[in-house]
Amino acid sequence: MGKQEMKNLSLVSHFIYNCRKCGLCGSKFTARVPYVCPVKESTGGFEHSTARGKIILAQGLLEGAIRPSRELAEIIYTCTLCGNCQIQCGSIDNSTGLPLVDTTQVIEAMRADLLRDHPELVDQAYQAMFNSTRQYDNPWGLPRTVKERWAKGLSLKDVRKEPHEVLLFTGCTIPSNPALGGRARKAALILQKAGVDFAVLGKNEPCCGSVQKRVGAFDLAQEMKEKNIALLNSLGSSTIITLCAGCYHTLKNDYQAGETPLKPEVYHFVEFVSQLVKKEKLAFTKKNSLTVTYHDPCHLGRMMKVFDPPREILKALPGITLVERAASRENTICCGAGGGMRLFGGGILAEEIGKAAVQAARDAGAEAVVTACPFCELNLDAAARQLGFPLAVYDITDLVSEWSGIEE
Amino acid sequence: MTARLSKELFQKLSNIVGDKYITSEPLATYVYTQDASVFGGTEAGIIIRPGSTEEVSQILSLANQRRIPVVIRGGGASIYGQPKGVPKKNILLDMTRMNRILEINPESMTVTAQCGIIMGKLQHPCRQAGFYLFCPFAPLQIVSLGGWISGAAGGGGIWRDIVSMTVVLPDGTVVKTGGGPGSNVRQKLSYNRVLGGPDFTGLFIGDGGSFGVKTEATVRLTRFPEVIRASIFEFSKLEKVLEVIKRHVACVDPHPFNPIMVFGSGAMRNFMPDLGDSDSFVVMGMMQGHSAQEMDAKLDTFNALGEALEGQRNPALDAMAATMAASSSSESETMMDWLSFFNALGLACWLPFTLPREGFAENYRKLIAWRQKRLEETERRGYRWNGTFEFFTPSDQSTIIGEIDVFFQNTSTPEMFAFVRTTMQEFQEYSHEIGSIDVYNQGVMSYINGRFWSPGFRQLFQTVKSALDPNLILNPDLWMSEQKDTKRK
Repeated sequence: MGKQEMKNLSLVSHFIYNCRKCGLCGSKFTARVPYVCPVKESTGGFEHSTARGKIILAQGLLEGAIRPSRELAEIIYTCTLCGNCQIQCGSIDNSTGLPLVDTTQVIEAMRADLLRDHPELVDQAYQAMFNSTRQYDNPWGLPRTVKERWAKGLSLKDVRKEPHEVLLFTGCTIPSNPALGGRARKAALILQKAGVDFAVLGKNEPCCGSVQKRVGAFDLAQEMKEKNIALLNSLGSSTIITLCAGCYHTLKNDYQAGETPLKPEVYHFVEFVSQLVKKEKLAFTKKNSLTVTYHDPCHLGRMMKVFDPPREILKALPGITLVERAASRENTICCGAGGGMRLFGGGILAEEIGKAAVQAARDAGAEAVVTACPFCELNLDAAARQLGFPLAVYDITDLVSEWSGIEE
Repeated sequence: MTARLSKELFQKLSNIVGDKYITSEPLATYVYTQDASVFGGTEAGIIIRPGSTEEVSQILSLANQRRIPVVIRGGGASIYGQPKGVPKKNILLDMTRMNRILEINPESMTVTAQCGIIMGKLQHPCRQAGFYLFCPFAPLQIVSLGGWISGAAGGGGIWRDIVSMTVVLPDGTVVKTGGGPGSNVRQKLSYNRVLGGPDFTGLFIGDGGSFGVKTEATVRLTRFPEVIRASIFEFSKLEKVLEVIKRHVACVDPHPFNPIMVFGSGAMRNFMPDLGDSDSFVVMGMMQGHSAQEMDAKLDTFNALGEALEGQRNPALDAMAATMAASSSSESETMMDWLSFFNALGLACWLPFTLPREGFAENYRKLIAWRQKRLEETERRGYRWNGTFEFFTPSDQSTIIGEIDVFFQNTSTPEMFAFVRTTMQEFQEYSHEIGSIDVYNQGVMSYINGRFWSPGFRQLFQTVKSALDPNLILNPDLWMSEQKDTKRK
């Protein structure tokens, strides 16, 4: 069987050959690691569902032992890219301190090569998302105006017309989805209440390209990155606050690497609000008894190490009791929506994975799950409904807004 | 659907385990050709993840009727590869779905679990209950209980703690071994290894999975040692090290709570890069138990032994011993996972041995000399190696197990992988020539071990094998293949 070109995979081949195929990524168990791979746990559990299996397939592709196929595409896209396998692997290059095996990079590269060379093999839902991105600058097929509707009546600064310090970057998913309950609006009201000098881009806010990159549209994501950096660097903002964990990871990590990095400081909303709380810029007037657990979004927690700020906020809310699930912080089991999984196969597996996270929250004695990512919120909420659990799912913005006495 | 095994068979097997737990997709079967070893296995026709003893029984019964080879896989953690069976015709049983703990019995001090459970997952609740499951030197987080019993339990002493097993014989018959419900149908507890009949439990330990599929096992627990002491000496002469071991094992059972671990200079450089050019041996004694007074006394005795034999102290090693003593009572130590450490060293060329303590010094030097020649060849070929790891320990009063591994730079070169395979295999052939009988009853090692069997031992094996597996369906190639797995390049 002839070798494939596999341009992107070749660039990360060192990760493949650093992997010892020991299987730790599929089998580790400790008090804080009930299991590693959410896909393995929610499917038949065959080896190809785990990182070891996918690395073996990647090596097979590089060496020409296997060829791209629809079945291969299905396996490669059945991954949340949550990165727990990489954390639990724990193999570090002692000279650089970097992971010896970066599974998410390998899987993203395989996706990129499949999409580039064999787009016909990949779920067409992704193609629709790319088309929407090109046409509307958001992945969800909605007109650009959805990004300004949420701000109606708030008299917010237009970032391009008025001096400001902070750009509130809402992302595509929150303003596009009615189920997310005016989250952007609440965030803006919180910032207003705290006296933050901020502005928005409205319908001109671009998509960051996170989802596109995760599913393998590297060229499209790179194009978006270059265009967006030029735009965001030209606005005069000293700080960008994101509401979405995926946007945060992309802006803070991807955009700040390369020859022309993003200049403004990037914070997730939870980081910024925790600072406002510490500086006593926000006062919480409400007291309501509620036991919650915090679900660390993969893009915010495991990948960017933002673990403490959301917990600090929750602990500052009067009446809130924070309980932890057995797997939390860097060991958190993915909600199931990562890596484009909600689009893949109708999102059935994503919700199956989400059920485990919801069950774990219930086992920990939580009445509600709080998170800081719209994908996590949607998927956990869907899973809770499917299970019929009376378990509320909130974004942390909801609680901060309510406890601050913000009313609309 | 592959044409390798019929659709009708697939459907029958699917009816046993459910659609979710069976596959014949070529990419799925391809993935199972590899494991933690550089040897791997062969491609199966069908892969099944059974969930119960009953399902395993039905699968084997059907396979036996149809004369279809069956190979077994646990955590995929072998170092010498998997049974090959008949490529593309095998039914491969991935046992890791059978991962439930059935009972922790604090009164009997036993744990009973399904054999597909990974040892780390088994160890954890035992620890929570105040007990300790003795499984030394295993990469706990990847090895299954069944794989450990079948493939490597002979080496580290755990065989003594295996009380009973539920085994599915190749024709589908389910048997229980050990003193308990197997040898007295009125008894519900598996509580003793040998009562009321021969030690059939021992028959299945270290069999490589030749005689049956282990589905459940009861293993003896010990109380978790709350008090740890450690002491480290350096010795320049191997004979002095062996004298420490000799005097130590004369007084105490070296396992599970009183191990002596000896590290060569290459191994120590992995822990302490600033060690320099010292060629000394580092000898660590650990004392684990339940009373500070007792452990302090044992520590004093060990220190007196080290000093009497002119062992040298080193402040850095003293600090290491203090750290180990302080951390060892935590869960992280009992769950100690060397895997990430070794994985970071590079492509492992494992060179393990098991030798009698008597005559060990001469044999160890021969093995080191063999490795030195191979390292010189490595350099002539331009292959780069990152370091070595020399380690040995008495596993009982008369046996020393150890390894003198080499870690190569990670590579994508097939020739180098072949070189590692060849080196591992030829090392075993050489070490067997000088009397090593290694514990890894798996893949390539089973062929080598089998080649050194006496005629009587071979006949006994074949008699038992043909009685239990007359159609030779279960891991059919194990032990008996004379082929060399790799060709020297």
